[in-house]
Amino acid sequence: MDEHTKKLIDSGSVATGILRWLIAHPPNETVTFVDRVNAFISRVAMFLTAVAVIVTFYEVTMRYVFFSPTLWVNELTLWMGSVIFLVAGVYAMQRRSHIRITAAYDLFPEPVKYVCDIVSALVVVAYAALMIGASFGVAWDTLVAWERFGTFWNPPIPATVKPLVLIATFLVAVQAINNLYVDTITHRKRKTERKGTV
Amino acid sequence: MDIGTLSLFLLIGIFVLLVVGVPLGFATGLLGAIVIYMNFGVNGLGLVMQRVYDLAITYSIIAVPLFIVMASLLERSGIAKDMYDALNLALGKLRGGVAIVTTIMAVIMAAMSGIIGGEIVLLGLVALPQMLRLGYNKHLAIGTICAGGSLGTMIPPSVVLIIFGLITETSITALFTAAFVPGLMLASTYIGYIVVRTRLNPALAPMPDEAHVDISQEVPKLRAGWAPELAYNLIPVAIGLAGVALGSFVGFEDTQQVAAFIFTSAAAGLYFVFRLRNSDFHPIAKGLLPPLIVVDLVLGSIYGGVTGITEAAAMGVVATFILITIRRELGLSMLLESLEQTFRSVGTILWVTFGATVLAGAYSLSGGNAYVANLIFGLDIAPIAVILIMMAIFLVLGMFMDWIGIVLLTMPVFMPIVIKLGYDPIWFGILFSVNMQVAFLTPPFGSAAFYLKSVTPPEIDLVTIYRSFGPFICLQLAVLALLVIFPEISLFLVR
Repeated sequence: MDEHTKKLIDSGSVATGILRWLIAHPPNETVTFVDRVNAFISRVAMFLTAVAVIVTFYEVTMRYVFFSPTLWVNELTLWMGSVIFLVAGVYAMQRRSHIRITAAYDLFPEPVKYVCDIVSALVVVAYAALMIGASFGVAWDTLVAWERFGTFWNPPIPATVKPLVLIATFLVAVQAINNLYVDTITHRKRKTERKGTV
Repeated sequence: MDIGTLSLFLLIGIFVLLVVGVPLGFATGLLGAIVIYMNFGVNGLGLVMQRVYDLAITYSIIAVPLFIVMASLLERSGIAKDMYDALNLALGKLRGGVAIVTTIMAVIMAAMSGIIGGEIVLLGLVALPQMLRLGYNKHLAIGTICAGGSLGTMIPPSVVLIIFGLITETSITALFTAAFVPGLMLASTYIGYIVVRTRLNPALAPMPDEAHVDISQEVPKLRAGWAPELAYNLIPVAIGLAGVALGSFVGFEDTQQVAAFIFTSAAAGLYFVFRLRNSDFHPIAKGLLPPLIVVDLVLGSIYGGVTGITEAAAMGVVATFILITIRRELGLSMLLESLEQTFRSVGTILWVTFGATVLAGAYSLSGGNAYVANLIFGLDIAPIAVILIMMAIFLVLGMFMDWIGIVLLTMPVFMPIVIKLGYDPIWFGILFSVNMQVAFLTPPFGSAAFYLKSVTPPEIDLVTIYRSFGPFICLQLAVLALLVIFPEISLFLVR
């Protein structure tokens, strides 16, 4: 977050600040529609971390101060945790922070790097395609049957999280293609700029 | 395809995909899916989603985002800077004092956070400029910061140990207990090294007056007689901590008793800070207490058996949040930034784990683990040699790879072998964790150097940074050797 955005967010009320941040441009050079949608979804999901802290604190307080532990906090945290983990992958792809080993990659000349980028995107897409193709039916059935967790509170964790695994993987793949597309146009732009100066 | 060919195919496949620069989590995920397809056909592929789903609903991983939130909140507050000033006030007058202060600060911060990165950046911003200004040898300064800063993943709470525990199905609390002494051992060897080296060659760490700088600005002075007062006033904190430590050894029947202990010690500490408002000791106490309270709360809850690790992490976040509010540093953009940073790190860590769990599951279902185990037992070498070979593999991989990649790729294969050889998985976890301390420092891809480089002045280049690590890597290897020879150092607290 740059200084300007920070000031803008801190200036108004909390609600306007959060709103401003939710719709703020992702900090990339070129931003597409896919970037904006994925950044927005991720920024909403980020608040679940804060909610997880609050409910867990509530549970510990209830247990040790009021001696009446809750039945739902543990499972709610579990549920929110899964959403955080899955959507965070989409965000990591948008911010390009997935772990890769760049030891050799950095040494390659530009054209080879470009081929590597294409291979990377293809791997992500192939992984997503295999997973979604194989499990779409299962996830759909779980959702339609509204399968529950089988505990006292009984939240519909399988019914929601199984489809979410596939949705998140799908979004990651879309983001990977988008990243490749963005790289291609920035690469072309730089090339024409270089030609222009000569 | 027989399992030997399959293993070879996987090794080559991973190598090629990683060289190309494919994100690790997806390279392993795709290879896992291919292995499943080759062995079990299309019907087996449902396993891919199942593995990811099972991991996503594991309660103990939720501690990872919570510890990261805590660390990123602490990074953005002045708590760490105040602690640094307080330690300087107490120890800055010693030879090499600022380097010692840096290490102690690194230990306390490591006990509050479980990741590497933020701590090194912070020390690089706060401690490095001061040491350079005072005329400290730059290699000593840089080495201290990076070696100390890496302790974040060694001293509990540690994300490395959490992931290790998850992958190998080892008790995370036991790992945390076992890591404590080795972590402090590492820190004390660093401090010992600084003390000895600066005594032998005082030019490495000039005293403030020798460096011709304004002392009052660099190292604040206390009036005479501060030491007894310091000792006297640390008593309540020490009693509280000792109480919690004792509680965890003796094993309190009633966890509420431990909870009471934790809160009393924190409250006693706070009381003394206020009582001492007009004394010389006040600035030291004020700087040290907030972080110690957080450490007390988090580690006390875990070791005392009051809460699980995830709940302790949440308590730590709340405590940090309250401290920041009291210090009037709270801002919306700061909170959002912390959440953002956490979310990005969590996505990075978790999706590598997802991919690796697919590959590990596929490989072990295809009989790969048994194959590797037989291969190693077939070599007919001493069990300890097997352990040493594994550690050599960690060290080599550590030069090129992040800790998370190493733990996820090797542990599913190594751990069954370690157990079959009759070694304690917790001991092996500690060895792994020390190996990763080395990995953070070894070129060409020791991540500690990159974190520090992001905040150093341009005249300090990566080569200078890596050259500073030599002595510290030797110290780490020495501690590692001790831990291999005497497993009891890691295990005596667990039993």
